[in-house]
Order: sequence, then C-alpha cells, then structure tokens
Amino acid sequence: MVEVGDKLVGYATDDEVRKRGASGGLVTAVLAAALEKGMVESVVVLKHIDEYEAVPIITDDVEEVLASTGSMHSVPVNLAKYAVDRKVAMPGKPCDIKAVIEQSKRNKIDLDNTYLVGLNCGGTMPPVLTKQMLIEMYDIDPEDVVGEDIEKGKLIYRTKDGNEKAISIEELEEAGFGRRKNCQYCQLKIPTNSDLACGNWGVIGDLAGSATFCEVMNEKGKRLIENAVEAGRIEVEPASDKAIAIREKVNGVMVKMGETTQEKVFTQMPDEERLPYYREALADCIDCGGCKLACPVCSCGDDAKCTLFHNLGDNYKMSMFHLVRLLHLSDSCIGCGQCTDVCPVDIPITRIQMSFSIPAQTRLNYKPGMNADEKPPFFEVMIQ
Amino acid sequence: MIGNVYQTVCPGCNIGCGLYIREDEEGALSIDFMKSSPANEGKLCRFGIKLPEHYSKAVSMVDGAQASVEDAVKAASDKLKGADVTMLNVGNTTSEESLAFKAIADTLGTVVNTGMGVYSELPSECHPTVGVGMSLSDIESAKRIALFIDPYIQYPLVIRRILKAKENGASVVSVGWRNIHLADENKFIDPDKYESELGLDSESVIIADVHPNADPGWVKRMLNLALKTGAKIIFMKPFVNATGVDLLCKGTGQKGLKEIMDGINDGSIKTLVTLDSDLVELMPNSDEAAETLKKLDNLIVIASRDSAVNEIANVVIAAEPQYAKKGSFMNVEGQLLKNNGSGTAGIDALSSLNQNLGGEAMESASLHNKVLEGIIKKITKPKYKELACEVMDIGSMEGAKGNLVFLYNPFMWFDQKDDNDFVMVNLNMAKRLALRKGAMINLTSEGGSVSMRYKVEDMPDGLILTAKKIPAVTEWVATVSTEVV
Repeated sequence: MVEVGDKLVGYATDDEVRKRGASGGLVTAVLAAALEKGMVESVVVLKHIDEYEAVPIITDDVEEVLASTGSMHSVPVNLAKYAVDRKVAMPGKPCDIKAVIEQSKRNKIDLDNTYLVGLNCGGTMPPVLTKQMLIEMYDIDPEDVVGEDIEKGKLIYRTKDGNEKAISIEELEEAGFGRRKNCQYCQLKIPTNSDLACGNWGVIGDLAGSATFCEVMNEKGKRLIENAVEAGRIEVEPASDKAIAIREKVNGVMVKMGETTQEKVFTQMPDEERLPYYREALADCIDCGGCKLACPVCSCGDDAKCTLFHNLGDNYKMSMFHLVRLLHLSDSCIGCGQCTDVCPVDIPITRIQMSFSIPAQTRLNYKPGMNADEKPPFFEVMIQ
Repeated sequence: MIGNVYQTVCPGCNIGCGLYIREDEEGALSIDFMKSSPANEGKLCRFGIKLPEHYSKAVSMVDGAQASVEDAVKAASDKLKGADVTMLNVGNTTSEESLAFKAIADTLGTVVNTGMGVYSELPSECHPTVGVGMSLSDIESAKRIALFIDPYIQYPLVIRRILKAKENGASVVSVGWRNIHLADENKFIDPDKYESELGLDSESVIIADVHPNADPGWVKRMLNLALKTGAKIIFMKPFVNATGVDLLCKGTGQKGLKEIMDGINDGSIKTLVTLDSDLVELMPNSDEAAETLKKLDNLIVIASRDSAVNEIANVVIAAEPQYAKKGSFMNVEGQLLKNNGSGTAGIDALSSLNQNLGGEAMESASLHNKVLEGIIKKITKPKYKELACEVMDIGSMEGAKGNLVFLYNPFMWFDQKDDNDFVMVNLNMAKRLALRKGAMINLTSEGGSVSMRYKVEDMPDGLILTAKKIPAVTEWVATVSTEVV
C-alpha cells in the first residue's frame, strides 16, 4: 500500500530495463506501465541519437518507452510543450515540471490528464561545449563516451574501454564548462512539484547505481506507483532513514550552491545603470523570435503582446518585443534557460529576464511552476 | 528521421544550421532546436525560425495538369532529347541530387550553371579561396575582423562567432553600409584605402560574401585585400548547398542568373532545366522574370517546394521536401552536413530522367560515395596573384537622389514574406525629406516607383538600404530619387 508522502527505493523488474536505465530503470518502467494500463494515451520520451543529442517524441508504443532509458545531462530540452493537448505521462526535470504547471494555469495542459514523473536535476549542459570539455578537461574522445553521471559533486564519464573519469563540477565551471548558467543558480533540484520525485540521491548500499529513490508527491504519484507495481513492472521498498538523510544532504548542498551563485550573479544594480545595461545587452538582437518560441511558459501563440507592439522597422532604441516580454514574464519566468540556449547572438536572456523576475516574484510572493492552484499575480482570474 | 521528426539543415544560407523539423498528424510543420549541431548549437536566425512557412510540397505537372512523377519524367525527357539545354542549380538541394543533375548535364552534353556568374570573371586559381577560404571557427580566433557584410540582416549566425572573437580580444571593423553595434569601428572609406586603413594582417579575418548578383570587381577587391594583407578570407554565400554545387558540379563558362534571363530574352536559350532554383523568386522583379520564363520553348522544373515557377513550367518533376531527403549538404567551411531523411524520390526521378536520355541509372549510396570523394580534406593556401579590378563607384548623393543598396538575405532570395518592407536612411535624409513618424518614402527608378516605410540608421548620407526585394530596382546598387508620401 503506497501513501502520498512515502519515500521509496525501487527498480524495474525487467533486468534489461534495470540494467540500461540510469538508476535501475524505475522511471522508464513507471511510464511504460502507465501507458500499458491505459492511464495515459501516450508518453513523452527522449529518443537517443547519441550521448549529446536526443529528440523528444510522443509515443503510444510501450516498447519505445522501454527503449528510451538513460540519463542525458547534455540534452537541455524542455518537454512541457510536448504535453499540450494530450493525455500523457512524461519524465521531466524540475524546470520541465514547472513549465507544465504554468501551462496548465494558461489552460494549455490539463493536469488531470498529465502524469509528471520528476527527475532530480543538478543541472544540464550544452552539448557542443560538453564535447569540447571532454577533449580539453577529460582528455576523452566524445565519441568514446558510453555513459555519464553526477555523483558527490563530480561529473563522471564512462568510456567504451570500461574506464571512467570524474572531475568536480566546481572545477569544470571555473574553466567555463559544466552546467548551463541558469542551472548554476537554480534552486529546485528535487522536483517536489511533480507527481513522483525520482532520482539517485539517497540510493545507497547494494542498490547504489541500480535503483531509484522515489518520493510520492500526490495522489497521481500514488496511482503511478501502484499501477506499475500491479503491472509487475517495478518493485519498491521503503527508503531507510539513512537514505532519506543522504538525499536531503545532497539536495541541501546543491541548493546552497544555487543560492550562492544567485547572489553572485544577481547583484543590485544602481537605477541609473539599469537602462543603459539592458539597452546594451539587447543591442545585438536580430528579432528572430527564437526566445519566444523556445519559452516553455509562453502560451500566447501568434496573438502575442510582445509581437503586436513590435516591428522590425521601429525606430526605438530598445526593442518593444523585449520590453513587453520582460514585463509579461516577470511573474512567470521559471528560469529554465531555453531562451538563452537558442539565442543566435548569445544574449543571456534568461539572466536578463531573471534580474526582473527574481525581485518581482519575491515581492509578489509567487513561485511559478510550484503550485498548480496558485494564481499568477498578473492574472485577473484563473479558469480551471 | 526519428518518428515524425527530421534532422535537417536550414536552407536559408550556406552556414549550415542544424535543426529538426517535426511533422504532426495533420502534416503541419514546426521546428525543434538541434543544440548539438556544431554550426549553430541549435540557434537559428529569423528565417530559420520561420521555416515552417518556407516549406511546401511540390506536385508533378505536365503542361499545367497534375501528373505522376513517371509521366512528368517521360514528358521532360521527350522535350529534352535533341534540344540545346541550359541547366541551373544554385544549391538548394542535396549534393547527391546535384551530382545526379550533373550526370544529366553530362548526358546532354551541357554544363550545370550555379548562377554565380562571378566565377567566370575570376581566374580559376581564385576559385578555391572564394569556395572555401577558411573555417567558421577561424573567426573566433582572429585578432582583427573586417566585415564587408551586414551580419545582422544577411548572415546572423556569424554574429556569435564575431562576438566570441571579441571576447578573445579581437577588434572588429565594419566596412559595410551602416554602423553596426558589434563593430569597434565603422568605416565608410574609399576602397583604395582598405589596405592602408583597416589594419589587417596575417592574424586577421575578412568576412565578405558572394552571391548571384555580386559585382566581380568587388569580389576581386576582396581577394586582393586578403592577398596583400595576408588575412584569411571567407565568402559567405546564400543557398544551403552553394559550396556543394560549386565544388562538385560547377562547369566552365558559368552563367549568372541575369545572363540566363538575358539569354532567354534574346532567344539564345530556349530550353531550361532547373533543380530547386526558382528564377521567379531569385530575380529582383518576379513578374518580369515570370514573363521572361514564359518565352522558353521548354521549362523543366525539378522542385522540392511548391514555389512560383512551378505554375509556369511546362513540366514539374516533384521531389520530396528538402528536410525529408536522404543526402548531404556542404557548408561554407566545406563541412559535410547530413540530412537524415529517407526520401530518394528526387534522386530516383533524376535517375529515370537520365536513363530516358541515354545515361546511366543512379542511386543514393553511390552518389553519396562520389560526394565523399569531393570533400575538401584541407583548406588550401591562396595561390592567386593580384587581380586587376574596377569597383563600382558608390558616390555620395545629395538632394532627393540616393543610392539604394540591397542587403541580400534569405527572405529576398526566396521572396518570402517578412516584416522587412522598409528602407533605412540616415538622419540627414530624414530631415531633408521632412519625414514624420508613419510617413512613407517614395522611391523612383527607371523601373518604376514604390512606397516604403523608413527607419533611421547611422549610415552615410545619400545611402538607402533595404533587406526587401523591390521589383522596380534590379541592380545590387542603383540610384533612385526619393520623395515623401
């Protein structure tokens, strides 16, 4: 019998799935069982191309779900938009889950039809830079990599020849590699906003590396676990006090790192410097609109205020597109970094947006993407 | 292809930006960012973001009626047998299809034109440098960069390379048409002073471009500047496979687009075969181009898109959309970029056509092997000598006259709608014309008049820039008279 709030350790019963999965294949098996037993019509999974690339696909094929196992720290996609208008189950990093919840508040996603299996996330990495990092820092040919993991503050790569090499994330980031900038100051590492919060933190002893720690966050999470157990796809047992304490400790260290980085990145800027700073920072914008397209929270579509008041032929010194977006997203930006990732002129849009959003969200006492019932401050009403 | 997702390359220019095209159950397209792509790390320009508007599915036609591909191929071969044929492939499709197209040219005893007439004006020893002069990553390690393009409008994915170079300590001088933000210096100087005033040396990089309307004198000037200063040079290009067709297919005696149109007008060209090269889109005046093409006895179009020229072609042989093709493209730095579609309809049709004309059958794998043989293994050092050149005079203009200059970009080459229907003028001209907010400028040339919105930019007096195709003006640089509407 599973209860909301339970903290469990479990793994896939299928040996192959367990072996191939990042941490015992529990997440894969839970998703497969949800599809198999008709809880959902499809599952969003990342289809591997190689260690540095995967494509989100929406599948109703259980075998395809089972084949999708493996952690992918250097595939920084956000999956939220793939869940729109579907009865779906999906794995997700904390920021994926945040985006799904914000989309639900904008009536794009029905959370009753969406099962969210959250994955602990210490951060993701840009793939091209990661390959460069492997050559320069690890002395590893990127093509030789067969697996990667993050443990005890170190990024570990396993190679074809059976060797592995670990370097501390701190050292990598000092050298300009490692996690994406937004991940470095993110402070949600365990996806407590999901239905099930899963990861390898707290998996100890004989199960280390071959099981998943899983926290049941709500009734939907409970149904997911019970369904997978009934389907014979997973086995779970209560996590020990020691396992729970270790998970909390790892989380505490990661969150503290995020807080420290945030303090460093978002220093107070004198008022008179703000406008020149933003104008200069956005001056190279080519008006591609990629940031809007990639934003997993944005749901205005073509009928958007940021584009309505903006034209390439404008004579303004600062883009109305960005001005509107800075205001419009100040309550709801989740800091996922997608806009920065896709900016063709490398404008740190996430950082710029968060410099607006962090004070705004603090003042408004609103944390986007955390509570599906909490109305965004700029909303008059929330229709559900 | 993964499920309904295609890994492909943006057709907007020759940088070779990787991306995914996702096709939903109803056939609607959307893009996904391919962050592992070395050329662009998932980033796309304005054209790339709008790619779903660019793609469309072509339909095979014979004399205006829908037909099967087989019937279209048969009709095409009937028209081509014994004809004096001109062939055009600017580089909008794969290298494999381009080689198949070249095989047809060989069978017919003719050559493939790439539309880059400038090559005919350059000694052959210059061609490798114009083709692949350096890698894009060389930009990032340059100490000084001289820009002869407007990267913001023409080749936006170069900007991040230049910004990385600046982070590494490079200085940037723009010798373009308007002041641009990323340049440390913006210079509008006499071309004769480039060598003495731009401060270039062997650790420098020159970024210029070459395109179907490029002025040969200007290209020679760029080559001379690289030669004399020792700077590396890269010629940016439109069309995703411009480098591929240049290296693999280009025949001698290259005809430019204008020469081809002139040939049709004077009756020396009566049969034209195009491979994903729509002259209605490519030429400055679409209506005029369409009327010219109607003068042909035979216009055979092999198309991966449903574009304007298909409507007036005698025969359209439809291939799958570019993103769905099996094959590869070669980018401006000579890198082979894989398209992971599985479609071979284009190659199969070209193979059938070649067989009907007496040539051999072709298939994807062997064509790909030939592509691999043609890959550049190493960028060669320039071997040309100083070139005699005349550069067009873009003198200053006063009063109501102005020099209109086109900033060629993907929206222009594909005649695709964009939010760019304005001209750029400087403050002096705006004052001289007493332009008010919301006013329009009327531009008049020998070809007619057009009214455009305006934007004020920091740029030389008398210059008018636009990124929008204007049918009334058909030259790269043209004198126009202006008045406020």
